Amino acid sequence: MKTILICLFALLITVPGYAIDGTQLLKQIDRNLNPESYEMYRKLINVEPNGRKMEYTFYSVKKGLDKLAGVFLAPASEKGRSTLRLGDNMWLYIPNVGKPVRITSLQSVIGGVFNNADILSLDYAAEYDVQNVEEKGNEYFLQLKAKTKTVAYDRLNLWADKNKKLPVKIECLTEAGMLIKTLYFKEVKDFGGGIVRPSVIETDSPLYKGYKSIMIFAKIKQKDFKDEVFTLTFMPNIESLR
Amino acid sequence: MRKSLFLWALGWAIVCLVLSWGSFTLAEEEYKFDPSEIEKKPYYIGGYLEFRPVIFGLDRDASLYKLKFFKRDEGKTIEEYNGKLQLEGSFEKGIARLFVRSNFDLKYSYLGWDHNETKTMIYEGYLSLKPTPSLSFKFGKQILLWGKGYAFNPVAFVSKPKDPDDPELALEGYITASADYIKSFQGPLKTISITPVIFPVYKDTNDDFGKVNKLDFAGKLYLLLYDTDIDFIAMTGGSRTSRVGMDFSKNITTNLEIHGEFAYVNNQTKKVIDSQGNTSDSEFDAKSYLLGLRYLTASDTTFIFEYYRNGTGFSHLEMKDYFTFIDKGYDLFLLKGNKSLLKKASDVTEGNYGRSNPSKDYLYLRISQKEPFNILYFTPAITTIMNLNDQSFSISPELLYTGIKNLEIRLRAIGLLGGKWTEFREKQNDYRLELRVRYYF
Repeated sequence: MKTILICLFALLITVPGYAIDGTQLLKQIDRNLNPESYEMYRKLINVEPNGRKMEYTFYSVKKGLDKLAGVFLAPASEKGRSTLRLGDNMWLYIPNVGKPVRITSLQSVIGGVFNNADILSLDYAAEYDVQNVEEKGNEYFLQLKAKTKTVAYDRLNLWADKNKKLPVKIECLTEAGMLIKTLYFKEVKDFGGGIVRPSVIETDSPLYKGYKSIMIFAKIKQKDFKDEVFTLTFMPNIESLR
Repeated sequence: MRKSLFLWALGWAIVCLVLSWGSFTLAEEEYKFDPSEIEKKPYYIGGYLEFRPVIFGLDRDASLYKLKFFKRDEGKTIEEYNGKLQLEGSFEKGIARLFVRSNFDLKYSYLGWDHNETKTMIYEGYLSLKPTPSLSFKFGKQILLWGKGYAFNPVAFVSKPKDPDDPELALEGYITASADYIKSFQGPLKTISITPVIFPVYKDTNDDFGKVNKLDFAGKLYLLLYDTDIDFIAMTGGSRTSRVGMDFSKNITTNLEIHGEFAYVNNQTKKVIDSQGNTSDSEFDAKSYLLGLRYLTASDTTFIFEYYRNGTGFSHLEMKDYFTFIDKGYDLFLLKGNKSLLKKASDVTEGNYGRSNPSKDYLYLRISQKEPFNILYFTPAITTIMNLNDQSFSISPELLYTGIKNLEIRLRAIGLLGGKWTEFREKQNDYRLELRVRYYF
């Protein structure tokens, strides 16, 4: 009897230690990556096998779980091209065309390896459910499943640093488990305002052998915006928020 | 000689492309993001420089060829060399922003050198004031391109018509005063925005729009309701007859978007000419509409499909009478040197039979493939516009390459096909071959 009681007590004190709340962990990872509402500057670089590069500078703002808007600042051929995402709704505004057009959320707004999911990504916890979480040495390993069919990658395998609770590597997979691309999170940097996160994301893809895409983060700042900023009518003016 | 010039230009573009492909090989380097790259300046200057040589294959039997070339022989083909400088600049201070976009067009064709008029060089030039993100005002020349259609916009009441052959070309605006008020909500209705517009039509101010000495008013109410974009649009004032319209756009699935427009124009007038040259004016209420979709496949092929009903358009019989009359006028000119009938035909062409979509029913289909065979920045496409009333159509394959920083190269051909006295068959050309090289700065 005494042995049974000891065993039960041992179970009671040990079980909470091993049961990791995957959803909570994913939300924590999201918050460590970005504040819920922010402004951000990024450089997107496509690198071809021969070293040839194409660079894009992108300014984006986010509010809450599902409002995101951004505008290309460079190169000159893309300048002023802006995008807006409200949940699953997505629009593209091209200055020369003069009006926003609704685009399918899977459509790419620029050429190259990047797609909209990379450029206008919401919180992981907003788009994915945690199916499984494990501890592997110094890392957490999370298996994520898209909440809806509207998400670009159906499944994600996410490795996160256990101490920093920041992603180290993410594999993006199709529903059938085919690897689409791998994201490597590098060079953790203090952006100020309590934001310490990787400043470089490198991507490679078996679909684009030899090609690489790199996202460099220059400035991330917590900032609140009015809801009216995330509207079709405001799209030509996104750059004025800078 | 002419063809060789065009081929020389085409060859030059290809050589540039090949050279640039190889010349960008770089050593592995550290990626940098200099803070100066994102520093915001109060002013901005940019634009593009364009070179666009075109060969037209003339259809010497076509009615519109006869109307235009009846007294000159330019052979089987003519060439055109177009240069364009689009310059834009802005200056921002506080809530105010001054923006100007200008276009300088230079053309060399069988008629010699030509350039656009000074008054049409400014495409846009306005002062905007934005006291809050919810409220803004614009005064000056601006483009108010309303409607959800890609190739056609029956509800674009306050803008110049788009060219369905090149719907993404910048248009010249009109001088207006407008405001935008935006309000966001939680729930099924996420956004409301209201855009009232004052549209003066006086001598030297928007005088190509309609009757002068009138002050028109237009307005748009936009709703984002149940994830659907909906616009209600109206215009009145006297320089054109009153008109109302609505449009919508919605994503049905992640890769399928549908859109539509409906326009109702009061007391629309139309001048019709019969095969004998008798003209008659009719007045009626015109209903135009458009239904379209944009579909993206898993392999990155985009389909844009639109059906357009042009309520102000001509029937197949009316178009046939017009072409028959031109042919009669041409025969009379050949026989007696009398060009009076051709002059009469010419009078009913401008802004009437001669506008870009003169018939009643059109189908538009564009299929583009993003980066086939993993060739980055390369997009081939094919576009067709069909006149459903006479089954004539245009077909236009194109190749677009944007893989060199700030350079865009597009090669395009357009073929026009159809039976005798049909819209596309009777255009002055059989085909067109065009190269467009744009450098952005």
